[in-house]
Amino acid sequence: MGKAKKKGKSGAARNYMTRTQAVKKLQLSLPDFRKLCIWKGIYPREPRDRRKVNKSATASTTFYYTKDIQYLLHEPLLQKFREQKALEKKISRALGRGDVSNAARLERNANLPEKTGKPRYTLNHIIRERYPTFQDALRDLDDCLSMLFLFANLPSTTAVPAKMIARCERLCHEFQHYLIVTHSLRKSFLSIKGIYYQANIQGEDILWLVPYKFNQRIVGDVDFRIMGTFVEFYMTLLGFVNYRLYTSIGLKYPPKFDQVKDDQGAELAAFSLEGLNLASQNGEQKAITNGEEHGPDPKVQAEVDKLVAKLREEEQQANGDKTDEKGEENEGDDKPSDAIDKFEPVAPGGDVLPQPSYSSSDPSQLFANFTFFLSRETPRQPLEFILRAFGCKRIGWDAVLGEGAFTTDESDPRITHQIIDRPVIRAAVSEDGDGEDNQTSQKLAPNGRYPGRIYVQPQWVWDSINDEELKPPELYAPGAQLPPHLSPFVKPTQGQYDPTKPLEEQQTEAEALEAELEDAQAQQEGSDEESGSEVENDMSVASDEEDEQEDDFGGFSDEDEEQSDEGSEEGDEEEDDDEEEEATLERQRELEAELAGKAVSKGKPLDPKVKAKLEAKKALERKKKQEAEELERAKGMLSKKKRKLFEQMQYSNAKKNAEDAKLRAKRRRIEKEMAAKKA
Amino acid sequence: MGSKIVEKKRKSRDSDSESDNELGDGLFDGVLSQSEDEEDYIPSSEVDEDDDDDADESASEDSDDSNDSEDDEVEEDDEALLSDEIPSEGESEKDQDLAESKESKQDQDKEPSEPEILEPFVDPPRKEDEELEDRNYRIEKDANGGIRYVYDEIDPVYDSDDTDYNVPVNTIGNIPLSFYDSYPHIGYDINGKKIMRPATGDALQNLLDSIEVPEGWTGLTDPNTGKPLNLSRDELELIRKVQQGLIPDDVEDPYPDTVEWFTSVEEKMPLSAAPEPKRRFIPSKNEAKQIMKLVRAIREGRILPYKPPEEREREELEKEEEFYDLWQNEEPQPPNPMHIPAPKLPPPGYDLSYNPPPEYLPTKEEREEWEKMDPEDREKDYLPTKYDSLRKVPAWGNFVKERFERCMDLYLAPRVRKNRLNIDPNSLLPKLPSPDELKPFPTVQQTIFRGHEGRVRSVAIDPTGVALATGGDDGTVRVWELLTGRQVWSVKLNGDEAVNTVRWRPTKDTFILAAAAGEDIFLMIPTHPSVTPALDQASRDILNAGFGHATNGKQQANLPPGKEPPGKWARPGTRLEDEGVLLRITVRSTIKAISWHRRGDHFATVSPSGQRSSVAIHTLSKHLTQIPFRKLNGLAQTASFHPLRPLFFVATQRSIRCYDLQKLELVKIVQPGAKWISSFDVHPGGDNLVVGSYDKRLLWHDLDLSNRPYKTMRFHTEAIRAVRFHKGGLPLFADASDDGSLQIFHGKVPNDQLENPTIVPVKMLKGHKVVNKLGVLDIDWHPREPWCVSAGADGTARLWM
Repeated sequence: MGKAKKKGKSGAARNYMTRTQAVKKLQLSLPDFRKLCIWKGIYPREPRDRRKVNKSATASTTFYYTKDIQYLLHEPLLQKFREQKALEKKISRALGRGDVSNAARLERNANLPEKTGKPRYTLNHIIRERYPTFQDALRDLDDCLSMLFLFANLPSTTAVPAKMIARCERLCHEFQHYLIVTHSLRKSFLSIKGIYYQANIQGEDILWLVPYKFNQRIVGDVDFRIMGTFVEFYMTLLGFVNYRLYTSIGLKYPPKFDQVKDDQGAELAAFSLEGLNLASQNGEQKAITNGEEHGPDPKVQAEVDKLVAKLREEEQQANGDKTDEKGEENEGDDKPSDAIDKFEPVAPGGDVLPQPSYSSSDPSQLFANFTFFLSRETPRQPLEFILRAFGCKRIGWDAVLGEGAFTTDESDPRITHQIIDRPVIRAAVSEDGDGEDNQTSQKLAPNGRYPGRIYVQPQWVWDSINDEELKPPELYAPGAQLPPHLSPFVKPTQGQYDPTKPLEEQQTEAEALEAELEDAQAQQEGSDEESGSEVENDMSVASDEEDEQEDDFGGFSDEDEEQSDEGSEEGDEEEDDDEEEEATLERQRELEAELAGKAVSKGKPLDPKVKAKLEAKKALERKKKQEAEELERAKGMLSKKKRKLFEQMQYSNAKKNAEDAKLRAKRRRIEKEMAAKKA
Repeated sequence: MGSKIVEKKRKSRDSDSESDNELGDGLFDGVLSQSEDEEDYIPSSEVDEDDDDDADESASEDSDDSNDSEDDEVEEDDEALLSDEIPSEGESEKDQDLAESKESKQDQDKEPSEPEILEPFVDPPRKEDEELEDRNYRIEKDANGGIRYVYDEIDPVYDSDDTDYNVPVNTIGNIPLSFYDSYPHIGYDINGKKIMRPATGDALQNLLDSIEVPEGWTGLTDPNTGKPLNLSRDELELIRKVQQGLIPDDVEDPYPDTVEWFTSVEEKMPLSAAPEPKRRFIPSKNEAKQIMKLVRAIREGRILPYKPPEEREREELEKEEEFYDLWQNEEPQPPNPMHIPAPKLPPPGYDLSYNPPPEYLPTKEEREEWEKMDPEDREKDYLPTKYDSLRKVPAWGNFVKERFERCMDLYLAPRVRKNRLNIDPNSLLPKLPSPDELKPFPTVQQTIFRGHEGRVRSVAIDPTGVALATGGDDGTVRVWELLTGRQVWSVKLNGDEAVNTVRWRPTKDTFILAAAAGEDIFLMIPTHPSVTPALDQASRDILNAGFGHATNGKQQANLPPGKEPPGKWARPGTRLEDEGVLLRITVRSTIKAISWHRRGDHFATVSPSGQRSSVAIHTLSKHLTQIPFRKLNGLAQTASFHPLRPLFFVATQRSIRCYDLQKLELVKIVQPGAKWISSFDVHPGGDNLVVGSYDKRLLWHDLDLSNRPYKTMRFHTEAIRAVRFHKGGLPLFADASDDGSLQIFHGKVPNDQLENPTIVPVKMLKGHKVVNKLGVLDIDWHPREPWCVSAGADGTARLWM
């Protein structure tokens, strides 16, 4: 006989630890413990039986695995935390004694990330520990990117130092550069929360969310210390990931960063990527280029000039202005071309020359042949990123959107596509007064268009990349009613509602019947109101009868009912039902006729088509009932456990189905309304 | 101006006191101790008050001192020492030397300023009054005819052990002797007598004295005697020691010179003859190592030249974080089975689009409902919204909060691995054969037997299968034609007592019905078209056969005297006898169940409230009632004979006991696990048992297999009242429930012992109404056909076929 086991000495009680116990064991303060948990990826566990773990107490506490906490005990950061704590104690003691100079000296040693934006410790080893392989790191990049992109867009406060924001922004831009170079962006989605992006890096799908460029509203109870801890970790992670990604494609990390350009709002264009091998470094500098060589090709330039001249003629502009503008344009051409590009075999000069080297089937080169111009009301950052990631080399935008544009001149003839998000102004543009005005302002009339250019709304870009084909721009013309923007992340599953498919393909049999019946009735109503109403009346009676039948089979005390019972001896019950129904219907009709003092109209007013539909519906219902019975039969044989499981599954399935049915019903209604409007 | 003067005065006073201290430090310790009272204008007799004043003044002085800055004070001190300003204290001169008008003036000057310095309560007039009251002097006329105060001789009573009192003491107090330079005396003794200046030599003599310095010459003059103060060598030494703060006593030298015993003494030859070790003259390898370490560190840049901290700090700030290939030598590790990776957020659906398909937009009602809901209860934290162009899309207000919540989830949410069964729920369901393959079984309602008022408690079909007997709450037993539903016979048995159960005698050679109403069992021969006179006669014979036994009093003889017999067998009375009720057995308590033995000679009755006599076995041929159990665990619910063997089953609330009637012993206890058994039935094969319970469960027991149920089934939402096997060879059984339904099962028991019975529910029959939460109360099968009859609380019995 072994020793009697004591409670709480083995098993689950030893495997779990409450948070208080853990903090005590690690000799940390709670915020430090929190930091450590966040970085090391330690999270609470839910024991199978709380009472067994917590000495029979059922109070709600957080439990950690004891092994996890033991693992934390060996963490080198623990020592740093303790040192920090000791230092803080020293400082507070010095301050208490009024020894300000000593306190200041100590404080200089203190590690204040909120001041410097950077701690004295590094999290490198933790990242290696948590992600033993690069693939692991990529797998966990979703939250990291969402968080960093959010912080890159936050205003700086005391809790979020400006340095941290700047670092986040840089890391994000570097990551975007990698995606642009490798064309690994796959999909993007404009949601009401922000813009979702999906990239595929080394076979790993990464999905992240970027907020729209607005000042973020910070709603109450958000603890930025916790977020900051995460961001600290994520910054380190993304730094290493970026390094690995850059080196894997032969680029040097970190890329050269031009502070001046960044200050001017160049964003992506503030970085210039360099090749890894230093020997050919000077030649291989590669910034975000706008697809140009240093000096414009004379031949191309001539062509462009010719085109411009032609354009000018069309516009009937004054000569002096023309030359002026030409000069400006040349400047505009030169401006962005100071960044060197020798990698890209893009033919300079935009659309003028044919570019046979690109196969149009490659989705990553979807926009390679185009020159885009972004109007000032469009979101520049996402558009620039997406267009570049899908092969576009020349993107110009209005000067107010920041530095780094291919051209800031809207009238540049090389522009093939202009993205515009402003409504078509309905006010009649007076044709008579435009002579002087146009000359002085040099601008287009409110609804004016440059010929030879495609004007689209921003959604065109997103829909095109999601479908990997250029969508017809007519659908996305300015001011047009846009087609719905659909999420590219929804995987169509069997039986689920899919808005892209026609309704007829996905509705259930019953729904279809119902709809058809309604249609037929509506038609009939249109043709003959009286009869229609009667039908409805009859229908309602019939359904009443049916209900009663279900409630109490044979609940009638009439003789004839019993007779009918006995009449159909061996028949199927369902059939019985039907017949009865028919009989009661008939009887009702007779009664009504009697009341009205009319002869019984045997010739039914029902349309044969409607009747057929009705019958089909009844058959369907009967089938449904039978199935339900069958199910009930089988369910009774299940054990308690299995039955519960089954019911849960049924519940969730039913919920899903109900939602889908609702959507279908809504769509049917909308379609009907649309049809009505058309008619 | 005035204030300035006051200040000056005060300062001079201060300096005075300071100089006082200085003098007191020195040799004149003893002297000063006797001349402490400085304010002479106060009579010496009032020493106490004097002291008080003194203390007060010093206190005031102190407070003044504290007001002055220290530097000033020091300066003033110096001045006071240097200047020969006459201190204002010497007030005794007032009555003595009027010639010194200067002094007196100063005194007067001082007088008005006094209150400012002194504490307010010290008022001089009061002192004068005191002076008048007790005066210790005589007034005489002096030589000039002026008034002269002649004081008594003061006899200082020094009963202390003050050894200093031996010489006439100069009482002038703490003033420089130079004041007396122009006088022949140098002061006054205690009695006011002048102390005359000692004779001094002339200046030349002084000079000479100063040139050839005599032994112990100090150049000082003894204030007491006026003679030059000569100190002996010892005294000088003493002073030096005191000045240096050393021990003045002439003890051993506390700081003797060190005597160097070893270090200074050079040995003539080494003590050991060992050769000098190498380490003395070979450079240290360890040191070289240390140095190399430092050199290496400097070369590698681990040790950096000193930089001022500010510069270092700035550099650190500017330094970028270093990144390198962290995964250079990565090796995939098997995933930790305990680690649960955080679930990814679900990708956005169609309804999150800024321009969703119109069917995803909420209707007005949905919107209202969403807005009304508590934010925590909402299934989605957003409402699908449509913006007709991208520029109109606003910022998502909850973005930061959502990210924060995600962070909180990542670090604070307990992760549990939940196995999501990605299977078709229908795969859980057992594969049941189609009911069509298992026909025949009753599917439809054929006949309704109406007539009973109140509930129909019990139904039974006679062994030939033509007649149906029912018993109900109205106290009647009715017999019906089974197929037509025509009532052929009816009898009211026992007044208002409900008929709880009716059971036919299970042999075809008779037509005997047993019915229990209250405590009575009635045996009757109903009239029915199928009853031939021969059959009727046979039945009557059977019923009457026992009367002979009853009369011989065998039963009574077995009983102890005075005790009632368990059952009384008697004729029921002429009214009932005319109707065909021939026998009446009265037991001790209300009977709920009757069960016939297959041969029809015995039947068992159960009356749950009957305590010890709850189960009784009656023998028809002998008119004998026996109580087999002296004691039963729990309340007996129902009982039944085994269809083939001499076994007897009794069901209590929780268990069913099986007794061998021949060996008179307990064979088996079956425990269905139900909370309250309502009824049970034994399979005609005898090896299986089906049990219905009030807790909605139907349990199938294989008696050979286990005491526990082989199968538990739940088909009803209410209690099960009755279960019954088909006894005519069809593999059917049925239960009746309070939810108003009957469930028909196909229950086939294979001949092979190794095979398990197949149980398939085939049909649920609904029709009975639920009245007062009671539905179907009893059920019975047709002896041959797949028909069954049910008795309902709605006052009907129904035939299902």
